[in-house]
Amino acid sequence: MKILKLTLISLFTITLTGCKKDSQTINNSKDSLTVKKDSLVIPEIYTEYYGIYMGDFAGKGMITPEDGEEYEGEIYKKISLKINRITKDSVYGQSIVEGNQRPFRGVFNGASKSFVLDEPGSDKTDGRFEIKLNNDSLTGHWTAFNKSAVKAPSKTLKLIKKEFVYNPNFMLSKDNDLIDWENPKDFVEKYTDEQTGKTETFTASKNRVASDAVFNLNASKQKLTEKDLKNLRKLDMEIIKNSVFARHGYSFKKSTYRNFFEQTDWYIPVSNNVDNDLSPMEKENVALLNRFIKYAEDKYDSFGR
Amino acid sequence: MLLVKKNIPHIFKILFILGFGYFFWLMLKITLEYIPLKTDASFLMIKQTEVVERPEYLYFFYTHVYTSIFVLLFGFLSILRKDFGLKNFHKTSGKIYIFLILILAATSGIYMGIFANGGIFSKISFVVLGGLWWFSTFKAYQSARRKNFTQHKQWMWRSFALTLSAVTLRMWKVIIVYLFHPSPMDVYQIIAWLGWIPNIILIEYLIAKKLI
Repeated sequence: MKILKLTLISLFTITLTGCKKDSQTINNSKDSLTVKKDSLVIPEIYTEYYGIYMGDFAGKGMITPEDGEEYEGEIYKKISLKINRITKDSVYGQSIVEGNQRPFRGVFNGASKSFVLDEPGSDKTDGRFEIKLNNDSLTGHWTAFNKSAVKAPSKTLKLIKKEFVYNPNFMLSKDNDLIDWENPKDFVEKYTDEQTGKTETFTASKNRVASDAVFNLNASKQKLTEKDLKNLRKLDMEIIKNSVFARHGYSFKKSTYRNFFEQTDWYIPVSNNVDNDLSPMEKENVALLNRFIKYAEDKYDSFGR
Repeated sequence: MLLVKKNIPHIFKILFILGFGYFFWLMLKITLEYIPLKTDASFLMIKQTEVVERPEYLYFFYTHVYTSIFVLLFGFLSILRKDFGLKNFHKTSGKIYIFLILILAATSGIYMGIFANGGIFSKISFVVLGGLWWFSTFKAYQSARRKNFTQHKQWMWRSFALTLSAVTLRMWKVIIVYLFHPSPMDVYQIIAWLGWIPNIILIEYLIAKKLI
């Protein structure tokens, strides 16, 4: 009888701790813009305006090309604003630009349907949004708190409301440009003049181009094998890997990947950390891809196998 | 002019020794990537299918890696045909070279050839290479036992030419990747053959010309 009692008690504690763990992981995994629940009972109005607004974030700023002089031009970025909660006197949400995720707080004027939202100010890229809602579109402008710290201290926003859904079927399509414009490599080439017979060498800069493999291999749907990856180049594997993160709404810090996925209509950056959202299979595939990417990096052109 | 002509064998010899020294150093660095012994070091990063599915694979792999560097060294010391003032130096280093290949390096090489990257095209190459390596080394041993030293020298050069495919294969890889940037396994299929065929052709040519 005593043993039974003990077992029951221990079983009960296990169940309890089990529950605790579960709830914890749920909290951890939603460290993104997608869901934010609060238990405070402040009446929420305008819930219909909640959601993700994504679009252009542009402003005049100094552009430094790789060669040549600095000049003033339009700097285009993509931004996502997530409106999480609107109460009588406060608005809560987050902004995310190129992997930089910032919370904001502000006010909503129900009559003019306009927001004034402030980022915390602890980051040099923080600023104030003054935007207006018109049906599904959100437009207005943003000004940096510290005007000398950023390239473009004043920017305009043109956003459209988007529904973020994870769908393992999303991939780059044949209409997408598969050139990586961000990492040109110099190659020495030879040129022989047919008339004089003189050979000259010159350096040409070439960009990496991904192959069709990025349309065929989906690391969110199939368990990848070493055989699948052996003949792929680094860029292909990087795209296959980062497609997984793009599907989960990861906001890329590297422009290479932003450029690839921003071409699609399905990519909506919502978080700067989606690690906990990955399925077990996706995690395994990412680990495999990481190993092959490292191998390609270390070994592809070096003395070795 | 006559002086230059007279010295040509010497020049070749010096170049061969210097070249070997440099590439032996590179091979040693590759070998050191496998110390300490890990199941996913370097080349094994893309060989986990075999490592997981075939428990014996790692034994063969590491036998090959750890013996081959000594095979290169002792092969080189033997092919110089000098005793360096030590009694039986050539004979002893030759024996080490031969037995390391016959018992460990070639056998493990053939096993790994069966699971080589690059599909059937490169598998055939590596298995044939392993077979010829074993055979030429065995013939070199046999002819030495029979005191037929002309034959011994020729077989030894064949064997060492195949041993040096470890170096030439990797040299070709660097050249081909630099020039054409092919996909990794396309390179692999090419170097699987290019690594040893020119070597053996060169040796056969030298033998035919009675230069060895």
